[in-house]
Amino acid sequence: MEFEANYEVDRTADYIYSHNFTRVALQFPDELLKDSIRVVRALRDKLRALQKCNDDSGESLVEGRKDVGLYVMADTTYGSCCIDEVGAAHINADCVVHYGHTCLSPTSTLPAYFVFGKASINVADCAQKICTFAKSCNKPVLVLLGLEYTYAMHDLKEALADEALKLSTSSSKLDISCASVLSPAVAPPEEKTASNGQVEAVNNLSGCPEAGDAEVYTSYNIGGLTWRLPHGQQIEDYLVFWIGPDNSAFANVVLTFNACEIVRYDPAERCLITDVSQIKRILQRRYYLVEKAKDANIVGILVGTLGVAGYLHMISQMKELVTKAGKKAYTIVVGRPNPAKLANFPECDVFVYVSCAQTTLLDSKEFLAPIITPFEAMLAFKRGSQWTGEYTIEFRDLMNMPSFGGEIGTDEPRYSFILGGYAEDHNHEENAEDSEEELALAVSTEKVLRLRDEDINVLAKIGPKSGAEYLATRSYQGLDIHHDGSMPKPIVIGKTGRASGYENEKTR
Amino acid sequence: MVKFTADELRRIMDCKHNIRNMSVIAHVDHGKSTLTDSLVAAAGIIAQETAGDVRMTDTRADEAERGITIKSTGISLYYEMTDEALAAFKGERAGNDYLINLIDSPGHVDFSSEVTAALRITDGALVVVDCIEGVCVQTETVLRQALGERIRPVLTVNKMDRCFLELQVNGEEAYTTFQKVIENANVIMATYEDPLLGDCQVYPDKGTVAFSAGLHGWAFTLSNFAKMYASKFGVDESKMMERLWGENFFDPATKKWTSKNTGTATCKRGFVQFCYEPIKVVIATCMNDQKDKLWPMLAKLGVQLKSEEKELMGKALMKRVMQTWLPASSALLEMMIYHLPSPATAQRYRVENLYEGPMDDVYATAIRNCDPEGPLMLYVSKMIPAPDKGRFFAFGRVFAGKVATGMKVRIMGPNYVPGEKKDLYVKNVQRTVIWMGKRQETVEDVPCGNTVAMVGLDQFITKNATLTNEKESDAHPIRAMKFSVSPVVRVAVQCKVASDLPKLVEGLKRLAKSDPMVQCSITESGEHIIAGAGELHLEICLKDLQDDFMGGAEITKSDPVVSFRETVLEKSSRVVMSKSPNKHNRLYMEARPMEDGLAEAIDDGRIGPRDDPKIRSKILAEEFGWDKDLAKKIWCFGPETTGPNMVVDMCKGVQYLNEIKDSVVAGFQWASKEGALAEENMRGICFEVCDVVLHADAIHRGGGQVIPTARRVIYASQLTAKPRLLEPVYLVEIQAPENALGGIYSVLNQKRGHVFEEMQRPGTPLYNIKAYLPVVESFGFSSTLRAATSGQAFPQCVFDHWEMMMQDPLDPTSQAAALVQNIRKRKGLKEQITPLSDFEDKL
Repeated sequence: MEFEANYEVDRTADYIYSHNFTRVALQFPDELLKDSIRVVRALRDKLRALQKCNDDSGESLVEGRKDVGLYVMADTTYGSCCIDEVGAAHINADCVVHYGHTCLSPTSTLPAYFVFGKASINVADCAQKICTFAKSCNKPVLVLLGLEYTYAMHDLKEALADEALKLSTSSSKLDISCASVLSPAVAPPEEKTASNGQVEAVNNLSGCPEAGDAEVYTSYNIGGLTWRLPHGQQIEDYLVFWIGPDNSAFANVVLTFNACEIVRYDPAERCLITDVSQIKRILQRRYYLVEKAKDANIVGILVGTLGVAGYLHMISQMKELVTKAGKKAYTIVVGRPNPAKLANFPECDVFVYVSCAQTTLLDSKEFLAPIITPFEAMLAFKRGSQWTGEYTIEFRDLMNMPSFGGEIGTDEPRYSFILGGYAEDHNHEENAEDSEEELALAVSTEKVLRLRDEDINVLAKIGPKSGAEYLATRSYQGLDIHHDGSMPKPIVIGKTGRASGYENEKTR
Repeated sequence: MVKFTADELRRIMDCKHNIRNMSVIAHVDHGKSTLTDSLVAAAGIIAQETAGDVRMTDTRADEAERGITIKSTGISLYYEMTDEALAAFKGERAGNDYLINLIDSPGHVDFSSEVTAALRITDGALVVVDCIEGVCVQTETVLRQALGERIRPVLTVNKMDRCFLELQVNGEEAYTTFQKVIENANVIMATYEDPLLGDCQVYPDKGTVAFSAGLHGWAFTLSNFAKMYASKFGVDESKMMERLWGENFFDPATKKWTSKNTGTATCKRGFVQFCYEPIKVVIATCMNDQKDKLWPMLAKLGVQLKSEEKELMGKALMKRVMQTWLPASSALLEMMIYHLPSPATAQRYRVENLYEGPMDDVYATAIRNCDPEGPLMLYVSKMIPAPDKGRFFAFGRVFAGKVATGMKVRIMGPNYVPGEKKDLYVKNVQRTVIWMGKRQETVEDVPCGNTVAMVGLDQFITKNATLTNEKESDAHPIRAMKFSVSPVVRVAVQCKVASDLPKLVEGLKRLAKSDPMVQCSITESGEHIIAGAGELHLEICLKDLQDDFMGGAEITKSDPVVSFRETVLEKSSRVVMSKSPNKHNRLYMEARPMEDGLAEAIDDGRIGPRDDPKIRSKILAEEFGWDKDLAKKIWCFGPETTGPNMVVDMCKGVQYLNEIKDSVVAGFQWASKEGALAEENMRGICFEVCDVVLHADAIHRGGGQVIPTARRVIYASQLTAKPRLLEPVYLVEIQAPENALGGIYSVLNQKRGHVFEEMQRPGTPLYNIKAYLPVVESFGFSSTLRAATSGQAFPQCVFDHWEMMMQDPLDPTSQAAALVQNIRKRKGLKEQITPLSDFEDKL
């Protein structure tokens, strides 16, 4: 029975049944795939039972309602925390049930139901540790938690309240607030907003007061958690607790609220971890990547999601941004990126990865070129913008940022810390304006001609400004077509065996 | 107080034959700034009385405090020469008014870059040498640099007062010391044989050597005395001059000149008899306050003192008397005007050094002729912080044409390539300014041959640039300066308050501008790094950054960080192989150390990617014993396509090899920048591609497969070839008296340094010690040394070479392994070196 509780079979079945879905895709991450068959079986039984009991009551609206089609999806193209809408479309699903760790990003076309799972936690211990710690520093407390502990939320709140009461004295009172979790059922945005590509703000990190009780509260929203702070109070004033393991959701929180004091309670180890310097290190590293991106000539926009609402809009925004900065943008779709895939585009100096908040931070030494987030791209490619320490990961927040649209223009050349001097940003528009229509062709031809006969290394130093120029600097530019009419080479017998060791190599 | 006006100055600027652009160069503490003061005093900018104490050109508080010059400072001086003083001058001139654009430069090695910047915009150099300490390491360095820039030197033997007051040496001893100093300087100058510059050695009897006492404001050349005695002996001046130096002896008893010492008591060398002794007598008389003896003596010499000056006593009297008798300014000025070239003369031969473009184009011609009507050619050599915070003057020299207030100029930065748009801006000069002492005067325009400061261009120039007229789109830039020191000492800086980051970024930008050498960069882990030539240099930079460029916002700095290099000791123990991610491609490689001297040859640019392959293979074959055919198979250099590592193709008959060359090169550039040990640059490793197995299908052997594989196989071959670390090593020169030697040796020992030369300076109790000292150990070295020798030893450190650390970094117990671990920790990497098995694959 515990299995069914863990996978919330009852509630899932209710959800499916009440919405009258007929083809349902069940999306499993790799680590839960082993349970998929049992889940499907349990779910089917449950749905049958529901149907039966409905039929029995005689209120069946649809005659001869068929079995609900359940399909298991695994090995998602992008991050397993997002809904794989393209995968679901293959089987024409009208709903996706997602299991396991999730970023709770809104979907663009399909309704989805999230099953967070239930990780074990000792509520009493947790509450006691948090309260003891909180007492030592005189700050109001905000408790955030990983989605897999949602089930324990109610107990936790009570335990915290009890504990706080116990520890409170007349002089000091512990002020503890908890974040709440968004509904596990997510519906795509309304048709009319989706059609013009604009998405309503989901996160209000900038903290604009909401309508209604506008004067009283500022609401925050991150990774499926939402909470409100009384107006006039900043999140920086709070001591933030995070309950959960050190995963991407936590990193997301720490990076976003990098000015806050954040303490993590690890439910598995049952201890508090106050040292988050590793994350600050990440932030510094990101700063370097932004500086590096500023020197890029060719930018690859890496599509990292085909589901998260507003991704198309974001990609076109990025393109515009890059072009405005006088750089060349190429859009690339390679599924989940890995070093080998991206090294096939050696001309790209930097990649902008448009994906959900929890997969977007890709930093590995293995990649040939740095990979940055859209927010970082904005810092890098928009002149006059500065790294202030403020950090946003979700690209939807970015779209709502006031500084995102307008152009802050200065004609001062940019100082590059990578090159240690001023760097010119090539302005493509400028090139166009000073050459007249007829001359434009001549000028560009001349450029191409010069490119080819000049020393390769001189060019390599300057850095090509587009894919074509990069190709021109390569020593190998593809197969040569021989016009001398030489005979094609005769067929020879190739290697046999497997790639791990061909047969003629056994001796080696 | 100022005796001349900006208008006067501006008028003289047009007379290109009456200008001298000169820098004052010397070893630290040989008295440049003090001597400069005498010249400034004569131009009426500071009072004669205080000359020698003010150090006019040390404008910064810290310069005054430490008593050293940190920044080079330019001053325009205006002199009116008398007709008789110019009587013997043969060159072209227009009137008796002269304009001297003088640049006082620092003597400490850490600031050599300032000297380089000064030399570029001057034509002559006044080399100041302490008469006791002689030619020191920095004298030599800057002198070589000056000659490399085709700058004509004149010499002054300074601190003569020490001979008379401190050491009280006799005439013959003094002469020998001076002779030695001049000889030493000439040895260096003689190595530069340049037909265009001609003989640039200095000779006292030709008037190119002066003897001075900057502190007391007096100086003379032999021509001063020759003039005095010429009439007395009834010989002409030049003849007299010859007699005052070298093997010429005079016996007053017989009144005869001989070329050998006759041995009689009265027979003395000409120099001693007629120059040294009279000065000694005058000084002694003054110091002993024997005024009754003094007045007749002065009358004889034609020296007239004012009545209140006659009241002075002792040292003050001596100073006053000497200043009046042998004023430093007139002796030095005469020497400069006679023997240093005017811009018109100098640019005729300097054009080849300066201009990058063809020697026969209109710009080269204009520079050669110093043509004020020609197109503007102006080199900005440094940026000087302006009084309004955050702004800079662009300081430089006009080589041709005129620069005027409001003029539109093309700014060609160091990365400008003719015909491209990179690093090129067109902007207005807001104001043109000239320096008169501490004041700046705005002038309408400045013609060629002069130094100038410009307002309004600072946003577009990092450190230096070439300016021309707006329309001159085919002009080539003026050649970039080459520095003799390199920034090897680095610290990471952080702001205390996170929100000050934009301030820090802005501050670093300004710092980078204000100093020709400092490098501001950012590490892979996001730390801001300041790199300088030495500890002192960095200290000054940090102070400037915090106080001037960040408005006092607090910063923290890390301990100094030294960068290492990774190399290999032997050829790889076996051919290593790595497979591509899809397992269908295999690269076989070996690493081996480069031949001795090859890495240095690449550093110097003698061998590089842009060479003609034929010449390259000739050098490689003849000097380094390479196979001629092999030399043609060098694929690339790295890191940054020019570094001292390479990939050589040793494969035979491999299909599709040409296809993967670019990918292997890309992998190599990447790997050579971040070696396998501690992600430091590699150095002196030659990678040989032994064999390659590729998938027959092009899509499976693309960059994505080959680039990461090339990187892995390079790491694997590095790790199998006995990898070693290279550490940077300073050449230290220390001068100290004998009793301090013990202390010096013990400090050097303790700091892993070793002495390779110890020499006593002839005629002095001073020893000159040369040693090698690892840069890592150099922090706090000079203070430890001073403590150990009670302040008698003062070291000068300059980067010399990379030295291999013999311990094996792969042996976890070794020191090198601990070092590697530290570096990795600092960089935020895994502390253990990635094992070979991660890079090498098995069949």
